[in-house]
Amino acid sequence: MSGLGPFALELGLGALLVAVFVAGLLARGDDRRPIAWLATLGVLALLAVALLLEPAGPALGGRFVQDGLALFVKRLFLTATFIGLLAGISLPERAFARRAAEYHVLVLASLLGMLVLASARDLIVLFVAFELMSIPLYVLAGFRKSEGEAVEASLKFFLVGSVSSAVMAYGLSFVYGAVGSTDLGAVARALDGDHPLLQLGLLLALVGFLFKVAAFPFHMWVPDTYEAGPTPFVAWLSVAPKAAGFVALFRVYFEGTGAHAAAWVPIAAALATVTMLTGNLMAIPQQNAKRLLAYSGIAQIGYMLVGVAAASASGTAMVLFYLVAYVFGNMGAFLVVEALARAEGSEAISAFRGLAQRSPLLALAMLLFLLSLGGIPFVAGFWAKLYVFWAAAEQGLYWLVLLGAILTVVALFYYLVVARKMYIEPPDRPGRVPLSPTLALSVLLCALGVVLLGLYPKPVVMAALRVAAPLF
Amino acid sequence: MIPFPVLSIITWAPFVGAVLIMFTARHRPLAVRLIALVTTTISTVLSVFIYVVYDREAAGFQFYERVPLVPPLGISYEVAVDGMSLLMVLLTSVIIFAGVFASWTVATRSQEFYALLLALVTGVYGVFVSLDVFVFFLFYELAVLPMYLLIGIWGSSGEVRPRGVFAWAFRQTGVGTKEYAAMKLTLYLLFGSAFILVGMFALYVNAGAASFSFLDLEATTFDPTVQFWVFLAFYVGFGILAGIWPLHTWSPDGHASAPTAVSMLHAGVLMKLGAYGVVRLGMGLLPEGATDLAWLVGSIACVNVVYGALSAMGQTDLKYVIAYSSVSHMGLVMLGAATLTEAGLNGAVFQMFAHGVMTGLFFALVGLVYEKAHSREIFRMGGFGRVMPGIATAFTVASLSSLGLPATSGFVAELLTFMGAWRSAHPWWLWPAVAGTFLTAVYVLRVAKQIFWGPPSPHFHHLEDARGPEWVALVLLTAVIVVFGVAPGLAIGPVDTATVPLLARIIRP
Repeated sequence: MSGLGPFALELGLGALLVAVFVAGLLARGDDRRPIAWLATLGVLALLAVALLLEPAGPALGGRFVQDGLALFVKRLFLTATFIGLLAGISLPERAFARRAAEYHVLVLASLLGMLVLASARDLIVLFVAFELMSIPLYVLAGFRKSEGEAVEASLKFFLVGSVSSAVMAYGLSFVYGAVGSTDLGAVARALDGDHPLLQLGLLLALVGFLFKVAAFPFHMWVPDTYEAGPTPFVAWLSVAPKAAGFVALFRVYFEGTGAHAAAWVPIAAALATVTMLTGNLMAIPQQNAKRLLAYSGIAQIGYMLVGVAAASASGTAMVLFYLVAYVFGNMGAFLVVEALARAEGSEAISAFRGLAQRSPLLALAMLLFLLSLGGIPFVAGFWAKLYVFWAAAEQGLYWLVLLGAILTVVALFYYLVVARKMYIEPPDRPGRVPLSPTLALSVLLCALGVVLLGLYPKPVVMAALRVAAPLF
Repeated sequence: MIPFPVLSIITWAPFVGAVLIMFTARHRPLAVRLIALVTTTISTVLSVFIYVVYDREAAGFQFYERVPLVPPLGISYEVAVDGMSLLMVLLTSVIIFAGVFASWTVATRSQEFYALLLALVTGVYGVFVSLDVFVFFLFYELAVLPMYLLIGIWGSSGEVRPRGVFAWAFRQTGVGTKEYAAMKLTLYLLFGSAFILVGMFALYVNAGAASFSFLDLEATTFDPTVQFWVFLAFYVGFGILAGIWPLHTWSPDGHASAPTAVSMLHAGVLMKLGAYGVVRLGMGLLPEGATDLAWLVGSIACVNVVYGALSAMGQTDLKYVIAYSSVSHMGLVMLGAATLTEAGLNGAVFQMFAHGVMTGLFFALVGLVYEKAHSREIFRMGGFGRVMPGIATAFTVASLSSLGLPATSGFVAELLTFMGAWRSAHPWWLWPAVAGTFLTAVYVLRVAKQIFWGPPSPHFHHLEDARGPEWVALVLLTAVIVVFGVAPGLAIGPVDTATVPLLARIIRP
């Protein structure tokens, strides 16, 4: 049994996946919501297990590690998935009630890919996990298969995704060719020698990761996919696969490479710059709340790349912290959009008009999420931005910090436009916005996360620093 | 020395008030006002108390408190006041105390209004008492953000409709509306804080990344290049808040659109917070940077003085006149600081106080006039002195202080600044400064004559003088102007204990 210890979460999730699948086969009738509850509570149970687990040594000959970093992000994936599934239970459309098993099997399969990815220390494991994570996402993006836009978005996502996967696989083949081993430790050691092919391979592989985290110039799929997908899924899509992409990035490019990590500073800094610029500037003219959040999410990725550009243990730790803050802030914002869309039938920003006078608590929650995304003190996002800037300043990247800080002002402009709709403009219609209990609970969880991390970020920061330290 | 954390009580009392108002006083407007009044009274009484018991012989930072917040990063909640911040704390107390009375009649969503106002005040107090640069920055942000909602919800839009070639563009962006002003103000100030943040990090990293404490950073001597760039960053960052030309344009829009108490607090205290940041962090931590860039600070300040005064002359909206006069007077503050002389720096700090009280009074009066006449157009009004003699008198006192009449606090401040300018390395600064005072006389007297002393306007009937709580604000602020004008030593004494050591560090090579 001890041999299976490091795989506890993956095995548990696999069992849950099979259970959900079988339940889907056995279920009859049009309302199959109990399956959704099974999946949601199962993920919650796995989260509880993950919180109790201790880091373990490498397994499968070092191909699979359950170290602090893996565990840190696995807890994050499970938290995000729990919130996302919880918010999705009460989706009003009949298609979701009828096809609940399908939806949840796909989400759980993708989650399994993320969990394995977080632990992968081998190129093959990494790539397989990467695909396991990605392919269900393409299907889920087109889940509303009767709607043209959903199919279009799904296809676009799939095409861009498979091309970047192909380029990544191509790059990884060069890496294998240069190193002669699929072990990431061996790859890191090989950097000491002068291998142009290895550098080329790593550069090509970067494309895959950048696509997954939606950095410029691989971000085009984001707004369309987000706009067309079911919102609770999009909320989850906007955070969990991003986190997975970053972890894989750290595993391949930073772990064990020591001083060689610094070679990626110019590229990461340049990517951070263009990603922040694109996301923030493109968000300004948006009229649809989900598209706005899509572009703001791209900008957020840019800020995380600032932390990557620091190429240091503290930079990595601060990206991890940023991801935690981002999970709560971004999912929360999407879920409030979902709540309004169910009530008003509109995902436009104008649906927010007068929300503060209709549902003051919902408006307050949205304000907190926006302030967190904008990086305002006393909510989580402030510390996140501050810490990545800090890490970059430690490495002397003052110009990047200044640029990032100035662009937060641009970001605040479009966040404040939403705040203005909610707080300053009068409502179009009276009455509270109806809110299903599960959706309300998931919004509440996000709000709690944002506020608690804002008031007392220390434990999470310390944990992030602790798990990032062994990488360098 | 004092057995209780007096500075923390001053700082956090309004915040406690804000929380109480949010949670207990729903739909009870009187309770809202009483909570606001009680908490600000606590802060005000204690500010006067520390002003009196501050030991001028010992000088330096007193009433020290320290609680480590994030020990590994060297962040702690560290507060203390010296002579300079002491005066600023007193100013904040005077203005907010008067502000609570001046906004007694806010009717719509008054619960949220007072809660935000009090949260803002905590931010302002916090900036003035913080010794930890990081906590200073947190309070600074707290002081900036509530402003967006305060102006956006309770502000007023101007009556002047855009004309001319760019009218179409102005209408599209909503120039002159409160929403536009709120957004502009918030974005400008956050743009400034981006520079402050970078400067702060640069200092922290260059000092060895161990502590954010002002006292530790002060003991570090930074490399001249670092000093130059960080001073520039602080100057731009805090300077935006202090309204330096050409980054001042948020201020007239913001102050004109803001509700009365917010204009009072913003023009009276928050702009000072910018100047205070330049003096405390810029000049205090970066003596060489300050010396190298004094020419820039002073020259731009001269532009401010003259440009602000000329702009004020061209306005027809009463609130814009006062708002531009703030830009002009903040130029005098920055000019005094840039002289790097004892007289000039004392003048700058005293001017912050004098102008704060004066402009607070101005905005309170403009608010009252607007509330009664529902107009801000100067040329529609006239002869109000007959029907509102109290308001007219207070306005005249503020005007005279504004143009620097002896026996008002404005006179002392301007005289000291002029003396400093004359003795500084750039004596020519004196001329724009004096010209600014002259222009001030032109525009404030013109406004006072038109509105209060001219022939009665046919547009208005049944106007009243100030009532009940409003008198408190007027009498208090007028009295402070006169008392500190007659006995400037009350303020110069403690301020001098802070400016002399500051200058000693700068002048020593």
